[in-house]
Amino acid sequence: MASFSLPGLPRWLVRVGIPAVVAMVLVVAGPWILDTYTLNILVRALFVAIAAITVDVLWGFSGTLTFGQSAFFGIGAYALAIGFTQFGFGPWQALLALGAAVALAAAVAGFVGWLSFYPGSTPLYASVISLVLPIVVVQILYSGGSFTGSSSGLVGFESFDLSLEGWFRLAGGAVIAVLVLASVALSSDAGRVLSAMRDNDERCSYLGIDTSLVRIALTVVAGVVAALAGFGYVGFSGVAAPENAGFVFGTQLVVMVALGGRGSLIGAVVGALVIEVASAYLSSSLPFVWELIVGVAFVVVIVVLPGGLFGSLRDVGTMIRHRTGAAPARASSSVTLATLMRAAVVPDRNDVVVEAEGVSKHFGSLSVLSGVSFTARQGELVSIVGPNGAGKTTLIRCLADGRERSEGTVRVAGRSIDRLAPDRIVRLGLGRKFQAASVFETLNVADCLRIARVRGERPSFVGASPVLALPAAARAVVESSGLAERLSEEARFLSHGLKQALELAMVLALEPQVLLLDEPTAGLTRAERQGFAGILTDLVARERLCVLIIEHDLDFVRKISSRIILLHQGRVALDGPVSDVVDDPLIREIYTGNNRPKEAR
Amino acid sequence: MITLALDIVTTAAILFIVSAGLLIVFGVMKIINFAHASFITVGAYAALVASRFGLPPVLAPALAFLAGGLIGAAAERVVVRRLYGRPLDAILATWGLSIVIGQLVTLAFGREVQFVPAPITGTVMIFGEDYSGYRLLMVAAAIVIAALFTGLLNGTRLGLSTRAVIMNETLAQGLGIDSTRVRLITFGIGCGLAAIAGALITPLASVDPNMGLSWLIGAFMLVMISGGSLLTLGLSCFVLGGLQVLASTFISPILGGLTIAVLAAVALRLRPEGFARA
Repeated sequence: MASFSLPGLPRWLVRVGIPAVVAMVLVVAGPWILDTYTLNILVRALFVAIAAITVDVLWGFSGTLTFGQSAFFGIGAYALAIGFTQFGFGPWQALLALGAAVALAAAVAGFVGWLSFYPGSTPLYASVISLVLPIVVVQILYSGGSFTGSSSGLVGFESFDLSLEGWFRLAGGAVIAVLVLASVALSSDAGRVLSAMRDNDERCSYLGIDTSLVRIALTVVAGVVAALAGFGYVGFSGVAAPENAGFVFGTQLVVMVALGGRGSLIGAVVGALVIEVASAYLSSSLPFVWELIVGVAFVVVIVVLPGGLFGSLRDVGTMIRHRTGAAPARASSSVTLATLMRAAVVPDRNDVVVEAEGVSKHFGSLSVLSGVSFTARQGELVSIVGPNGAGKTTLIRCLADGRERSEGTVRVAGRSIDRLAPDRIVRLGLGRKFQAASVFETLNVADCLRIARVRGERPSFVGASPVLALPAAARAVVESSGLAERLSEEARFLSHGLKQALELAMVLALEPQVLLLDEPTAGLTRAERQGFAGILTDLVARERLCVLIIEHDLDFVRKISSRIILLHQGRVALDGPVSDVVDDPLIREIYTGNNRPKEAR
Repeated sequence: MITLALDIVTTAAILFIVSAGLLIVFGVMKIINFAHASFITVGAYAALVASRFGLPPVLAPALAFLAGGLIGAAAERVVVRRLYGRPLDAILATWGLSIVIGQLVTLAFGREVQFVPAPITGTVMIFGEDYSGYRLLMVAAAIVIAALFTGLLNGTRLGLSTRAVIMNETLAQGLGIDSTRVRLITFGIGCGLAAIAGALITPLASVDPNMGLSWLIGAFMLVMISGGSLLTLGLSCFVLGGLQVLASTFISPILGGLTIAVLAAVALRLRPEGFARA
């Protein structure tokens, strides 16, 4: 992508607009240069390219490998063919067929999305569903008799009266429009959510984003666009065949995207055009050898160059820029930090914000937690201590995910968490930081933090905001840790300590009332640990947060806590002020496995 | 009625034979071998070659196992080995592999449909009904495969290593088990089994370069739902295969063709980890 910029124009307009204008010129000029045969092939290839773009958005950007976009392509194709066969050709019939294509594709995609994405679903399951879909659609087409034309498909209906040149410009224009829309939406703040989900779905839901809903919505959009592509394809070719909806075509779309480069929109289009055009020319002269070459290329790309052609080009570009020392032109290098005023009035102090009552967790006959009850108030820093296997992390999980516990009730900020998914509990005012730093590896620091704000402020679908407004606490962490100078750096290049700080800042950006921390100091240096203690006590004192922290280092616990809960064998063994718990003989007995506390010292 | 019951049993047996190789690869390596279909095809062509050379039909599955196993082991060595950390990419690479194998088969044998004569023809009188003898033979074959497999897994040193790798690969490596070798052998055996399946089903179907594909999705869904255990695989073949036969007989063959895929997808939605522990 061009990295120059023109004064006075938004960067995305330069990045997207100029290539679009060049492509538009090519599309208009194409019919004057190319012969009829090539044009014919290209029109089909362009419609296929639109379907390939939808595969790329689903797979390359949101991480869902789909073999099922062919089914939507087929739905669009058959909506036109059946409409025109049954009712003849005319303006209202065309509108009707188009409406049917969109409505049916949206309905099927909604259902498929609901089936594929639910809290805890795996990417593999979504791929499984995407495999089944085209098979079901094709079987329905087979069983449709003369209505769907069964195995021979539908042919011989009257279609749009458009010249070959017209079709070429229409298809080319449609590809450019889809490319521009997709690339603007994907590089916007809202589009970043897709990459964040691909990198780390769990973190997204613990930032309050209903990832299932986002994925279902994306499936619907991708399904409708693929259906429109199929509609155009059959409108031009005048033949609708079951192969247009089949599993094999679905896998071919994946092959095109893989070769062109997943995660690169241009790559998907180039992959589709090259394969379609080359197939048309070579399948007659080198019938089986050509497919063999495609197969070998596909395997090689998946194994050696997972980024495909354009992904590799991008890598080479980055490498050259690093070598020559040219400053990477990143949009986010101009991001400025701002402090968000707290909109919500700080509620009454000393409210009970966490209430656990009789919380138990069993794995079969193994009981990890049994009857754990405690409360915690605003402005309290409660340390949860206990030996390995005491159930500390399980307890945190039971507080943050309503589906985890086997028995008992949990209230966050006075509301029961029932069986709610993590994203809903986050909305009640709970933030969870994981034990191992959980961030979005391929997103830069600013974008990671922005994703954390998605729930608070509706992100823009067209542009990337130059201002990153964070709540005071989150901003303090960003500045004191040194992340503020590295906002444009990708998270995967950060040190362990900085990743931990970034995740903490992300959780704080949620403005939680309750903060759950699972061994946040593990693997940190002494200095980092001290800084961390300062941040925590500050949060509790100034923001009146309720912090629950799992920690092994008793000295650290003693320094920061206002209360300690000792878990032992899944039960609350002790719960009280720091001095009482730390000096209790039981704690030494548990930690040293020795019941002579006086000699243990 | 008896015919229907026999249809269910023999369908389940055929499904079991076809899916067993996929299950083994999935169970040990946690990857889905999308080239499974093309190994079925390889086995079918091995049977075709065997019958052309006039070899006794008993040797056809053996030849198929050899061909499938060797090609499979080579594929593991060159391609699959690099993708253990990337399960979705492994699906894609094995799919690419199946394109390659399919085209090679086409180049070698042509695209046309061919036939292999069944070693036993005609019907057998069973429970007072005439029934296809070859289909009944499939039940015996399924039982032999299941028995051999259980024996291999539970009675040999390789089986012990394999079970260790299934349960905890890192620990197994720490104990000095060469998990790379286990994977190589597993993949080879899985592909060899797919080829045996191809050799066994050819007398019931015709042989063409894409013949394996129609079995792939069914086998894949059965393996997903079985959750990696041979016993539950047998059970799901029986239940879903039975429902497929019933749907085809009483409703429509087209609906029957969808039964396994749709029911398995719904069942997985309700119970994502499969039914291994049910």
